[in-house]
Amino acid sequence: MSAASSNRPIEFRNASLGTTVAVLRETHPPLLADALHKMLGGMPDFFSGEPAILDFAEISLDCGRVDWAGLLSLLRRFQLQPVGVRNLPGELAAEARRAGLALLDGVPLGERSTPPATPAAAAPTAPKPAPATPAPALAAIQAGTMFVDRPVRSGQQIYARGGDLVLLAGMSNGAEVIADGSIHCYGPLRGRALAGAQGNASARIVATNFGPEIVSIAGVYKTFEQGVPASIAGKPATVRMRGAGNEQKLDIEPLQLD
Amino acid sequence: MTRVVVVTSGKGGVGKTTTSAAFASGLALRGFKTAVIDFDVGLRNLDLIMGCERRVVYDFVNVINGEAKLNQALIKDKHCENLFVLPASQTRDKDALTEEGVETVIRELEHMGFDYIVCDSPAGIERGAVMALTFADEAIVTTNPEVSSVRDSDRILGILQSKSKRAAEGREPVKEHLLVTRYSPKRVEEGEMLSYKDVQELLRVPLLGVIPESESVLHASNQGTPAIHLKGTDVAEAYTDVVARFLGEERALRFVAYEKPGLFKRLFGGN
Ligand SMILES: Nc1ncnc2c1ncn2[C@@H]1O[C@H](COP(=O)(O)OP(=O)(O)OP(=O)(O)O)[C@@H](O)[C@H]1O
Ligand SMILES: [Mg+2]
Repeated sequence: MSAASSNRPIEFRNASLGTTVAVLRETHPPLLADALHKMLGGMPDFFSGEPAILDFAEISLDCGRVDWAGLLSLLRRFQLQPVGVRNLPGELAAEARRAGLALLDGVPLGERSTPPATPAAAAPTAPKPAPATPAPALAAIQAGTMFVDRPVRSGQQIYARGGDLVLLAGMSNGAEVIADGSIHCYGPLRGRALAGAQGNASARIVATNFGPEIVSIAGVYKTFEQGVPASIAGKPATVRMRGAGNEQKLDIEPLQLD
Repeated sequence: MTRVVVVTSGKGGVGKTTTSAAFASGLALRGFKTAVIDFDVGLRNLDLIMGCERRVVYDFVNVINGEAKLNQALIKDKHCENLFVLPASQTRDKDALTEEGVETVIRELEHMGFDYIVCDSPAGIERGAVMALTFADEAIVTTNPEVSSVRDSDRILGILQSKSKRAAEGREPVKEHLLVTRYSPKRVEEGEMLSYKDVQELLRVPLLGVIPESESVLHASNQGTPAIHLKGTDVAEAYTDVVARFLGEERALRFVAYEKPGLFKRLFGGN
């Protein structure tokens, strides 16, 4: 850059945003509120202020009415920041713009796979970009695998971009780990563990001491509000995706170690 | 080599100040030159528990602001030869503690030949608590045997891992110790409290000790006497064990088993 360019009052740079795409199959706020509550186990701080794009591809809006104010305020309550819409029927475009949302049809989002279908209303597929408490410099990426030697504590987040995550000292309730690949946990698995964050449905979660608050593979969640079933609680277990399309669900199975 | 030890917890009212006073006194009784610093700006509690509140003229913030010299602000303890208290300020301004200011004071204490600097952290995970742990070499994570306290201790352990100077500079991490306080074996037995084993299992930090719940702590603080000086009490013994273990000695855990009242007591009552 020349000296002159730094005097420009505005400058444009290229950036790619870590966005969450919320695929809506329903727009009625109370219905969504209920679904979000069930999916996220009553944890309104599940997201951490990341931008979200509302995708209307899988919804039929024949009735032609969207309660934008209600919808946006609900998503904000869950710490999402709706920034734009896509695949919205043309006649609703003006309303969306008035609600402050950008029309993002045709904008490449760099998604690596289509969002997996979930029985619930919205499927967050992209992970959060910035950790709440940045995990310390104890993790180093090696050949696509991230190793974390110390316990991941409540309030900390770790994201293994593009690969597997290996936790060598377990994690606590209130911590969150995300991997684009699989998650392997030696020691207690206690917080939220999200594998296949970019949509890889063959990712798995493997733990020697199973007791999470939430697990997810490729956007399909399972919460444990009623506690982890006694047959696997505190024991070695694996989580994987079974089925296809709308039949997809997470299977949790005990793991025989010896 | 000076060691900086922070007494921290996240949750309030778990016994940090009680522990800071007892632990610093215990180190001094073992012959180490020790300073104990109150980081709880605005609440000013440590000087009461140490029984030196009437001798406070200058405080930590005065020193940081250059309004007093460090040796004018350090108060010599009335029980131990080698112990000095740096009291907190009553000014309500929580931003008074700057990182540079705290660092200057800690370096000067090192220069004065202190063996240990004990930092009594305020509750919470905000600025004051972060300041107290920033320069720590070791941390005593004070936890009550209940779920909310365990969760807050877990958070503070995460902050220790990310915000301490040792972490920021990529040096060997802060050495973590778990101290379970206000422990009542009877209530554990009755299922009203977590056991110390549960707490350790949840936090996965080496156990430094268990301090029993005891009325003598209240008496001690009313008298302005750190609990470790209450000869013959469980609490004093437990804190003495804690100091010994901290110094690398082996001590079996005491005061953790519930002894059911014997037949005689059950038949005839009384104590
Ligand atoms: N072992 C104990 N047995 C009985 N009471 C105790 C014990 N330890 C501490 N306490 C009592 O608990 C209360 C809080 O103790 P203390 O002030 O040491 O906690 P703290 O963690 O420093 O609190 P804060 O977060 O407000 O600074 C005091 O009333 C104290 O007397
Ligand atoms: Mg205190």
